[in-house]
Amino acid sequence: MSMEEKRGKFCINDNMDVLIEILKRLDDRSLGVAACVCRLWCALTRNDALWEHLCFRHLSPPPPDGVRTVVVALGGYRRLYMVCVKPVLSRLRQGKLIRMGTRHEVELSLSLFCVDYYERLLLGGRIGGADSPSSLMFLCKAVNV
Amino acid sequence: MKRDRDRGNTEVAAAGGSSTGKLKMWEEQPQPDAGMDELFAVLGYKVKSTDMADVAEKLEQLEMAMGTTTEDGVSLLSTDTVHYNPSDLSGWVDSMLSEFNPTQIGISGHESSPCSSNLIYDDDLRAIPGGAIFSNYDNKRMKLQQPSPAAVPTAVLVDSQETGVRLVHTLMACAEAVQHNNMKLANALVKHVGVLAVSQIGAMRKVATYFAEALARKIYKIYPNDNSLESSYSDALQMHFYESGPYLKFAHFTANQAILEAFSGASKVHVIDFSLKQGMQWPALMQALALRPGGPPSFKLTGIGPPQPDNSDALQEVGWKLARLADTIGVEFEFKGYVANSLADLDVGIFDISPSNDESIAVNSVFELHRLMARPGGIERVLNLIKSLNPEIVTIVEQEANHNGVVFLDRFNEALHYYSTMFDSLETSGLTRPDSQDSLMTEVYLGRQICNVVACEGVERVERHETLAQWRVRMGSAGFDPVHLGSNAFKQASMLLALFGGGDGFRVEENDGCLMLGWHTRPLIATSAWRLRRV
Repeated sequence: MSMEEKRGKFCINDNMDVLIEILKRLDDRSLGVAACVCRLWCALTRNDALWEHLCFRHLSPPPPDGVRTVVVALGGYRRLYMVCVKPVLSRLRQGKLIRMGTRHEVELSLSLFCVDYYERLLLGGRIGGADSPSSLMFLCKAVNV
Repeated sequence: MKRDRDRGNTEVAAAGGSSTGKLKMWEEQPQPDAGMDELFAVLGYKVKSTDMADVAEKLEQLEMAMGTTTEDGVSLLSTDTVHYNPSDLSGWVDSMLSEFNPTQIGISGHESSPCSSNLIYDDDLRAIPGGAIFSNYDNKRMKLQQPSPAAVPTAVLVDSQETGVRLVHTLMACAEAVQHNNMKLANALVKHVGVLAVSQIGAMRKVATYFAEALARKIYKIYPNDNSLESSYSDALQMHFYESGPYLKFAHFTANQAILEAFSGASKVHVIDFSLKQGMQWPALMQALALRPGGPPSFKLTGIGPPQPDNSDALQEVGWKLARLADTIGVEFEFKGYVANSLADLDVGIFDISPSNDESIAVNSVFELHRLMARPGGIERVLNLIKSLNPEIVTIVEQEANHNGVVFLDRFNEALHYYSTMFDSLETSGLTRPDSQDSLMTEVYLGRQICNVVACEGVERVERHETLAQWRVRMGSAGFDPVHLGSNAFKQASMLLALFGGGDGFRVEENDGCLMLGWHTRPLIATSAWRLRRV
C-alpha cells in the first residue's frame, strides 16, 4: 500500500464512539482545547453527558438517578462543573488530584449550584446568562487558603 | 530602581534649591491663620505653612529612603515606628530620617541648581479640598510636570500600633464616661477618637469610626431614624452581607441540615420562616428534598416579613421565585406570606395548622428572635406561639454575644470585641475587594447594628443579642429540649468554611450539640435546634 492510501485509511471523525471515549478521559482544560479544533469537536465537547462523566467519574457509588434531572434543570453539568465542582474540589483538595470522591462534596456542590440558580432568578429572572451571581463569585477568585 | 533613585536624588537637590526660593515666596504671602496649615490641621497635624516646603521635601527623602529599605513591599518601619507626638509632623520626619541615614538630612537646601518646572509646592495646595495634601512624588520624578493633587504619601500612614492601642483605650474611656453620665468628658474623648481613628487603616479604622459615631449619637442624644425606612433597605443590606462572607451561608446550611433530618420520612412538610428576607435559605433545602431517596415531599413555606414602605408585596415576589425554582427541580411547592411588624403580633390562627393536615412542621429563625426582647413579654408570646404550632423542629441562629446586658459599659465592651472580630474576619478573609459594593454595604449593615447596640435604648434597641448559653436557659425553661446537630451538619459546615479564604481563620465548633461559627478563637454565630419537650 502506498503512503497516501495508508494515511487515508483512518480518520477519527469517522469513528465518533472512539472519539467520545477519548474525550471522556480528558480533564476540563483539555476539553476546552479540544473544543477549538473544529465544529464537530466543539459540538461534541458541549455534550453535557461528557461533563457529567467528568463531574462524577470517580464517585463511588455513583450519584442517585434523580440528580441528573435536577442538575440539567438547574443549568447542566458543564455549568455545575465550572461553577461549583471544580472550585470546590480545588479549594478543598489544594493541589491534589481533582476528583469528586465523597458524598459530602457532591451535596455541597449541588446545594451551591441550586443557590446559584436561585440567585440568577433573583437578579433578573433571566436564566442562561453567562455571568455567575456574586454569592458564588468567591469560588472564582484565586484564594490563598 | 537605581536609576530612579539617582534621578530622585538630583530632583530632591533641585527641589531643595527651588524650595528655598519658594520658601521666601511663602513667607511673603499673607497668612490669615496662625501660621498653621489648615489642611494639615484637619488631619490633626500641626505644620506651619512656612515649614511645609521643608517638611514635604523631607518626606520625599524619607519615602525614597523607605523605598530602598523595603524588600518585598513590606516596610521595615511599620513595626518599629513609635509616634511620640503625632501632631509634630516635622519633628517626626526628622527623627525618621536620622534613623535611616544621618547624612541625607544635609541635602536639603544645599545644592541649588536652577530648575524650571519642578514646582512641588504651589498655590494649588491651598486650593485642594479635603485631605489631598502632597503632590504625587512618583509623578514628579517621572514626568517633571505640575503636581496632581493626589493621595497623602504612604509615609504618613505607617501604622502605629501604639495609636491603635490608644484608640481602643480612648473608646473604652469614652464609654465609661457615658456610663457615669460625665458628658463633657465623653464629648472630648469622642472627638479625640475621631482624630486617632484617622491614623488607622483597615478594620480598626472602620470599627473605631462606627463606635465613635454611635457614642456621639448617645452623647448628643441624636438617635437614628426609626425603623420605618428600614425594611426593604435592610433586606438589601443583608443580601450584601450574605455575599460578603460565610456567616449567613453557615447559618442556612446548618439549619437546613437539621430541618432535613427532622423531615426524614415525612410526605408533607411545612416550614415557617420568621426571617424570610430574600428566601436565600430555601433553594438548598429544596434541592436536598428533591434528591431525597424516595422522592421529594410536598413543600409548603410560610414566610413572615415586615411591611414594606411602598406597599409592594415583597414576600409574594420571593414566593414566586421560589416557586419557579421548585417547579424547575420538581418539588411540589406552596407559599404563603404574612406581613407583621413584629413576630409578637402573630397569632397561631393565621397559620392554618391543623392535625388533620398531617404535615411535619419546622420553625426557622435567623437573627430574628433577639429583636423580641425589646418589648416585655414579646419573646414569651412567640415561644408560646411556636409551641402551639407543634413543630418537629425549631432552628434558631443567633449572634454569639451578650449585647443585652443591663450595664451600658459592659454592653459596649462586649460589642467592641465582637464587631472588631467581625470586621477583622471580613477584611482578612478577603473575599470581596475592600471597595466593592458588597464590602461597603456589609459594613453599613454591621454599622447599623453597632449604632443600635450603643446608641439606642428601650424599644428602639432591637439588637439585643444573647449568647447560646442564655438561649439554652430560655428555651429550656420555655419547654424545649435541644436537638443535636449531627456530624453531617458539621462536615458540611466545615467544608463550606474551607472554601473561604483567611487560612484557618474561620472555624466550626461543636458546642454540646450546637454549631458555632468562629473567627480564630472568637465564636460569632451559633446555630441550635430544638423540639418540644415530651412529657
